[in-house]
Amino acid sequence: METLLYIALFAPLVSSMFSALFTTTPKKTFVGVIASLLIFTSFVSSSLLLALIVVNGSAPVHVEMMTWMATGDLYIPFGFIVDEVSVTMMMVVTLVSTIVHIYSIGYMDHDKGFNRFFAWLSAFVFSMMVLVMSDNYAGLFIGWEGVGLCSWGLIGFWFHKESATWAANEAFIMNRIADLGMLIGIFLVYWNTGTLQYEGAFEAFQTLDTATLTWIGIFLFIGAMGKSAQFPLHTWLADAMEGPTPVSALIHAATMVTAGVYLVIRSNELYSLIPNVGLFIASLGAFVALFAASMALVNRDMKRIIAYSTLSQLGYMFAAAGLGAYWVALFHLMAHAFFKALLFLGAGNVMHAMHDELDPFKMGGLKKVMKWTWIMMTIASLALAGIFPFAGFFSKDTILEAAFAEHHFVIYGVLLFTAGLTAFYSFRLVALIFHGEERYKIFGIHPHEAYRFMLVAMSPLLILAMIAGVLQEPFFHMIEEILSAHEYHIHSHTTLWIMLVGTQVFVALAILYAYKKYANAFIKVPDGTSAIENSFAYKLLYNQYYIPYFYEEYLVKPYKEISDMFWNKVDMKIVDASVDGIAGIIYGTGEKTRAMQSGNLSTMLKWMVVGLVVLLSLAVVFGLAARYSDSITVILSGLGVM
Amino acid sequence: MLSPINVSMESLNLMTLAPMLIPVVGALLILVIDIIKGGLHKSLYVVLSLLFLAMDFVAVADSSGVFMANGTTLGLFDVMLIDGLAILAQFIIVGASMLFIPLAMTHKRFHEFSYPEFFALFLFMIAGFQFMVATDNLILVFVGLETSSLALYTLIAMHNRDKSFEAAVKYFTMGALAAGFFSFGAMVFYALTGSVEINKIALVLAANGYADMGFVLIGVAFFLAAFGFKLSLIPFHTWAPDVYEGSSAAMAGYMSIVPKIAAFVVAMRFFEFLVHSGIVWLDVVLYIVVVITMTASNMWALVQTDVKRMLAYSSISHAGFVMAAILIGTTQANAALFLYWILFSFTNLGSFSMLWVSRQKHLPDYQSSDHSYNKFAGMIKTAPIASVIMALFMLSLAGLPPFALFWGKLYMISSAVTGGYTILALIMALNSAIAGYYYLKLIVYMFMKEPVQGNDGHVYVANATLALKTIIGIAAIGTIFAFVAINPILEFVTAFVYNSGY
Repeated sequence: METLLYIALFAPLVSSMFSALFTTTPKKTFVGVIASLLIFTSFVSSSLLLALIVVNGSAPVHVEMMTWMATGDLYIPFGFIVDEVSVTMMMVVTLVSTIVHIYSIGYMDHDKGFNRFFAWLSAFVFSMMVLVMSDNYAGLFIGWEGVGLCSWGLIGFWFHKESATWAANEAFIMNRIADLGMLIGIFLVYWNTGTLQYEGAFEAFQTLDTATLTWIGIFLFIGAMGKSAQFPLHTWLADAMEGPTPVSALIHAATMVTAGVYLVIRSNELYSLIPNVGLFIASLGAFVALFAASMALVNRDMKRIIAYSTLSQLGYMFAAAGLGAYWVALFHLMAHAFFKALLFLGAGNVMHAMHDELDPFKMGGLKKVMKWTWIMMTIASLALAGIFPFAGFFSKDTILEAAFAEHHFVIYGVLLFTAGLTAFYSFRLVALIFHGEERYKIFGIHPHEAYRFMLVAMSPLLILAMIAGVLQEPFFHMIEEILSAHEYHIHSHTTLWIMLVGTQVFVALAILYAYKKYANAFIKVPDGTSAIENSFAYKLLYNQYYIPYFYEEYLVKPYKEISDMFWNKVDMKIVDASVDGIAGIIYGTGEKTRAMQSGNLSTMLKWMVVGLVVLLSLAVVFGLAARYSDSITVILSGLGVM
Repeated sequence: MLSPINVSMESLNLMTLAPMLIPVVGALLILVIDIIKGGLHKSLYVVLSLLFLAMDFVAVADSSGVFMANGTTLGLFDVMLIDGLAILAQFIIVGASMLFIPLAMTHKRFHEFSYPEFFALFLFMIAGFQFMVATDNLILVFVGLETSSLALYTLIAMHNRDKSFEAAVKYFTMGALAAGFFSFGAMVFYALTGSVEINKIALVLAANGYADMGFVLIGVAFFLAAFGFKLSLIPFHTWAPDVYEGSSAAMAGYMSIVPKIAAFVVAMRFFEFLVHSGIVWLDVVLYIVVVITMTASNMWALVQTDVKRMLAYSSISHAGFVMAAILIGTTQANAALFLYWILFSFTNLGSFSMLWVSRQKHLPDYQSSDHSYNKFAGMIKTAPIASVIMALFMLSLAGLPPFALFWGKLYMISSAVTGGYTILALIMALNSAIAGYYYLKLIVYMFMKEPVQGNDGHVYVANATLALKTIIGIAAIGTIFAFVAINPILEFVTAFVYNSGY
């Protein structure tokens, strides 16, 4: 068992280091192949661990690899735990990353940084595995920072593009802000419980007062907000789409951004003690779900639309987790990872076909040339919209049921409405890309389907997006061991059926409307003249509620001004000047006294003699003083000195 | 009628002489070979010297085994004294010499190495150093000192440039004066105590309770001047920059290490008992000398325009830094001295070897001296590996973790703190900071400036041969991976120092 754990954990690291060896050399296909194989190894090990835990019902694997820090009362080991929650995450991470690795061999085919890409990508997988497998908050934080770093490296992968480096820095800095909250949370945990191990900390939480727990919960959640791009730290996620599309699929849809949800689920024993914070999380989640979905309605960038949908789905997860339905959140996390990664990879195919064109209005009618991609993206969108019997139906509907059963009708209403929006913008995208007129012809593009092996690599995701729903029951039975899970049943069958059917009809109508509006032959590339484009709502949504503008004008610029002031006034005039002054004095002394080294032999001999004479005179003085110390004392006392 | 002197061979304990005799035999052999057949290639002599040094090293290792089993050994009418200090110092002397001698295998021909006498003198010099450290008899110390010094003066002069002759003459003249100081000091103590053996001097002085303090201090003053010269303590240091500049870079690196460790051991033997008998005068004077040596040489190093002269001043500063151990006088401090010097020898020999590799026969216009800073401008662009290695040595000299000298500085400063010299420790730390400036200056030149026109980078490796590269490689590896060896070395050194009673 332990061997499996270590293989699962370290195979990605080996892969990363191996690929890193070739970062400066031209593209070598075998690097991608070997990296994929190693990640696949990790996936196999994770699957075996899952089998052991689920089928054999064995206890969680808990290992302590080595001591990391042990000073005084502080004891933090590199400890890893594989229980039902982490093994679920491991499965999601390794499965999606295996697929993305294989897919990238094709996607990055013509890229100069091919080898470097795999080094970063595998490093990300390793960090993510550390994050989910650690048995303490410190280890989690290492993984947390590790994924942040890799995300930075991958968003800015095409660092020669100004926008890419900007987006990478934005993501990194915004996450750092949130990480401060997270760190404070971790400090508070240690301060109040004396340990960072989940086990010990959770036990100690039971005896702490609510105020302390609330603070801990809030600060940890701030960390989660950054990583999962929750309002108001959400702007980086859409900009992160500057990275290569496989990165968006793996990091900014399926895995890293769900780390915040994972943190809340992992700390469920904390959050179940503070239902008020939970309610806040749920409300924020519901708000973000709606908020992000609204921005997706009008956007004209294929990847950004999917990014907003990710944001929106993360909102769903937080809503579920905040309401205490941790297992539902985790299940939606898993299902979402499958269909969202599929959607992104499909978008990657489209981008390749369209020579990196991102505006769906410039596409249209692609289903003729890209049949498989069309099928995959349609099914992924159906799953995202929550149409029976695809994955999203089971996970999303359960969230709605949970909200309803917990009598949070506002949250329920918001989420339900958002489900309609989700369906609309998803199929707006599908319709614009694959149906209608072949508008790309105007731009002289000749699209082509992706490599066959890329499509094959995507197929597991396609299957999972279709059938993941059947996993709901077994998943529930597995997870109830560890998460305080209860199935949400709406007491009246009639109500339940009305809700189910009603939701389905509502969503289906939204899809039909999207098709009707965007799959016809009259769609033109917008040129900013139509009435709707000039409406206030459109502008508001298109400019992301002017939040990036607000940040730029009211946070970034004043901050820069303050920084400039500190640099010019404080640093240059006070700090620098005093440091330079000291250096100047030392340097000047050196310049002045170097005359001692005249190179003249007589002078040099004189210096030696001077030294000796000084020593001798000191010796004589001291010797005399020692010899006549008695009489000196008498004289001095006579003078009244001693 | 005189009775015949009966001395049993066992009581002479001739084995104590073995380590010194090996290089002497080697030197004689080289001279004999030259008489029989002249004009042989230098590589033969290099290999022969290496061979004898290796045998010497084994002999020292053997005596260290004896020391660990039986403790301190005396020999040859109790003149020879093989204790932990002697053994440690000999390890450093012979080890550093083994690293030095392959540096003769340069790509370009240099005058000195074409003479077999160079190698013979070199081996005689090592024997002299070994005698110096393996005795507490002041007369034998003097003989060893003079043997080695006379050989060294000649070795410097053999570099055959005007500056080398100048350096040799200066060194010789000042050395003569220092020798005079030494014999005067020894005379004073002989007059006071009737002995020339340090341990007997200590016993007699302690027995009469340092009654003649004035005379003791006069003797100490002479000794301090003599050692001050050898250890280049200010104001007896003036020879150092000129001599370093005049000698070949390799020789300069060697001089910054080996003669000094020999002098340190003698100083340790002589000053420790005085420090421990609570002579305030010595404490104060040593304190002042240590602080001035560290600080002033650092300031002068700042304003140098030639890397070799900078390194010369930095060596003076390092010597002052280490001299603090003698002042502190605890076992920890003395062990730190040896640790420091072992690490320093790797780093400093490495950095001087890097200069040696880049030694030109003729200076281009833009260079004012052999190793002026602007010669190294933009080195990263033309010779990336060489500049990285050079930077590595500079960072180690500056004491940046995890490189070798960081650990030396760490233990030295920590021994100062445990010894109660907190302010001294602070001054040592501040000086390390100042030193960082001039080491980084070279790094700035190498990494951040544009190369001078017409410098294609060939110059940096003009002298490189496999032998030189090997030595630099060994030094670099020693510098980088020092952290794995620190604990074993420290345990070894501490055991030896402690068991010798220091």
